[in-house]
Amino acid sequence: MSLALRKTTDIVAATKWILRRGCLNLSTLPEKSEVLEQSGNEVKRRSGRKPVNPILKCRHVYPEFLPDPNPKWRNSLREKLERMDMLKRRNQIEIPEFYVGSILAVTISDPHAQSKTNRFVGICIERKGSGLRAEFTLRNVVDHQGVEIRYDLYDPTIHQIQVLRLEKRLDDKLFYLRDALPEYSTFPFDMDPEILPEGTPVPINPVQVKLKPRPWLERWERQELKGISNIEEHLKEKDRVRRELRKKPWEKYDLMLQYRKTIPIEEQNDIWSEVYNQLHQLQVSQKKISRKRTYSTPKTQLG
Amino acid sequence: MTTSNLKLLCSNFCKLRLDNMVTRSNSYYKPRYRPPHWYMPKDRVMTDDMVTQENKQFIEEVMKDKLKMQTEMKSPLVEGDVQQTVQWSPFIKRTGLIARKIGNYPVWDKSGKKLQTTLLQVVDNHVIKYIPPEEYKPMRNSTQSGIRTQRHGCLLIGSQTIDPSTVTKDYCGIFDSVGMLPKQHLCRFLISPEAALPTGTPLFATHFRVGDYIDIRAKTIDRGFQGVIKRWGFKGMPASHGVTKTHRRPGNIGGGGEKGRVWPGTKMPGHMGNRWRILRGVKILRINTKYNVIWALGVAIPGETGAMCYLYDTVLPLKKLKTAPPFPTHPPMSDLPLEYYDESIHPFDDSTITLDDA
Amino acid sequence: MFTSLLSKISSRNLTCGFHTTSCLNEVRLLTRLRVVDNSEIGKRAMAEGKPPKVICVYNKQRVGYIGDRVMVAIKGQKKKGILVGLKQTQKVKVPKFDSNNVVLIDDNGTPLGTRIHVPIPTILRTILKERTHSKGADYTKLLSIATKFV
Repeated sequence: MSLALRKTTDIVAATKWILRRGCLNLSTLPEKSEVLEQSGNEVKRRSGRKPVNPILKCRHVYPEFLPDPNPKWRNSLREKLERMDMLKRRNQIEIPEFYVGSILAVTISDPHAQSKTNRFVGICIERKGSGLRAEFTLRNVVDHQGVEIRYDLYDPTIHQIQVLRLEKRLDDKLFYLRDALPEYSTFPFDMDPEILPEGTPVPINPVQVKLKPRPWLERWERQELKGISNIEEHLKEKDRVRRELRKKPWEKYDLMLQYRKTIPIEEQNDIWSEVYNQLHQLQVSQKKISRKRTYSTPKTQLG
Repeated sequence: MTTSNLKLLCSNFCKLRLDNMVTRSNSYYKPRYRPPHWYMPKDRVMTDDMVTQENKQFIEEVMKDKLKMQTEMKSPLVEGDVQQTVQWSPFIKRTGLIARKIGNYPVWDKSGKKLQTTLLQVVDNHVIKYIPPEEYKPMRNSTQSGIRTQRHGCLLIGSQTIDPSTVTKDYCGIFDSVGMLPKQHLCRFLISPEAALPTGTPLFATHFRVGDYIDIRAKTIDRGFQGVIKRWGFKGMPASHGVTKTHRRPGNIGGGGEKGRVWPGTKMPGHMGNRWRILRGVKILRINTKYNVIWALGVAIPGETGAMCYLYDTVLPLKKLKTAPPFPTHPPMSDLPLEYYDESIHPFDDSTITLDDA
Repeated sequence: MFTSLLSKISSRNLTCGFHTTSCLNEVRLLTRLRVVDNSEIGKRAMAEGKPPKVICVYNKQRVGYIGDRVMVAIKGQKKKGILVGLKQTQKVKVPKFDSNNVVLIDDNGTPLGTRIHVPIPTILRTILKERTHSKGADYTKLLSIATKFV
């Protein structure tokens, strides 16, 4: 009985969401950069008619503040406590804005290392998890050997997360770098941070990687990736036929699937209005500090 | 002399015979089912009563007033009606709490190790009634033979106040007789008579301390009728090599000859989950006093997110309470710190962990 | 039309009797490894395109994890080695490598080569120190020939 009730409420909520979606296409998560552009265009088009809440943009910068949309694990109090803990940690260290495709340098305290600290530089190939479980993976090629390290975003052993180059790539997961030529994931450890002028949007790097010949770790041809240039060279007729057979073109019309993957706009409004002020203050104070740092570094060099 | 002896012998023989006489009856007397008096049907059939708008408003007003009274009710421990003279000793059994499992997330310890924790929210717990050991006579089933003296009293604890109009009259009656509003969940805790609490005492998460060990009793996730692979972890049979229609079946369930039957306790398909289970010796890592939340170490606490569970002081001999806990319970205070952390846990508002060069 | 296509595919698929997708990337019996030190035998085996095969993993699970001792068949000989980098998914903050790396050692734990030319995970320092006993083999000599830690 209760199950049936839940189902009906679910359907009602979903229909509501779908109806609303007709006028406002913002509650989707940034699954792909393409969605971002689309929504941006729509905002421009509709700016005369309907003002869009600016704090909703936070969902791209702080994706881990949105809870897992699976109703099995939702609980408002737990999510609130989790957000409070995340903000407490963010008060301690600066967790900068970064995306999949950005190049980061992470310093952690490592009990195994001789100097008790460890620094790793690499390109972020994946960002996943919500709340305190949020984690990201860095990839680099050191001495012709591909290395990947996974970090917890809110791990208290992390001393510093430095963004060396802030940019996005064409895809939202870059696992294909494992099968690409090594120069696409090679980054020097002594890279200097590149500072973007303030107010510029995050640039999208349109680089397309070249894959090594098969065997591959995954069937990249079936995943509709935009960041690969030479995939057709390595395919046989069989693969092309299979790709056509495995395509799921109906999924982009599956509103229920999207609804289950996203947090509704009302709940997002509640979440962001709760944390926005603190996040904004943190951002401002950290900007001040970083400005000071940029001024102070040349002085030390002179002295 | 001889006659008297003979008489004595006779009487003794008589006694012997009578004492050894065993009455056997063919009919087995099943003990009468005597559920505790608080086992009342709770769910009410919601009918569309012909109540005018004014009356509805009136009912709502009364409900609001009652709720207000309930929330403004002071704890009997604060008012000082009860003088606690008994000191805590390791042989005294304290009351437990009713909590809701609200999810899990990681915390880190001081060496930087990640620990998974489960969050338990203590929802609006109040003492409903205390039944002393003399009056508390629970039904015993046939396995508990013999007469045992009842040493523990029974303390009824309710959690989460609800609207009285949504439950049956009988269920409301339990609470009305002691002057409380009905609660969603009601549970019995067996306690020592020294740890008794007066009706209306609110219980908080601070009833337990950080670093203590607790036992958690809850119903496991209901998985329905399951096969042998999911229920008992059998291996199943190969996917190929001539296997037909027996990929996930148990196979043989017994031998032949002398043992030619299915032995009791054979692992077979059946209903899985929805059983009461106790996880013993769970450490408390952190307590939030504002929201009454307990962080317990581990993710193996039975039940799904949102399930109710009962917390007790642990019975494990090595993890038992060693120093005096808040006894009989922690009185409500306004100047408590917001959070208590175990000394091994790294609070999130502490600075980053740095390791000294060894 | 689809059925005909499918039948074609399945008939074609039968001719290809093996698949090349990666699964767990576990180091177990007959896994090919990559020798990452500059020992003579290791260098020649890698150059010839005949990388060593695992013929024994010295632990209870028989699946090699980081820092485990393995016996490999290399160029017709039996040699022991230590796993210094794994391809399978690792714990948080432990590096995952693109290949399964091994450093050849002898029975006393002394490496056969003099230099390791790929990065070594720092956690290996703790693991190998734990495995070294005062009277048994000394595995920490391996750490001294490493060039880089990540």
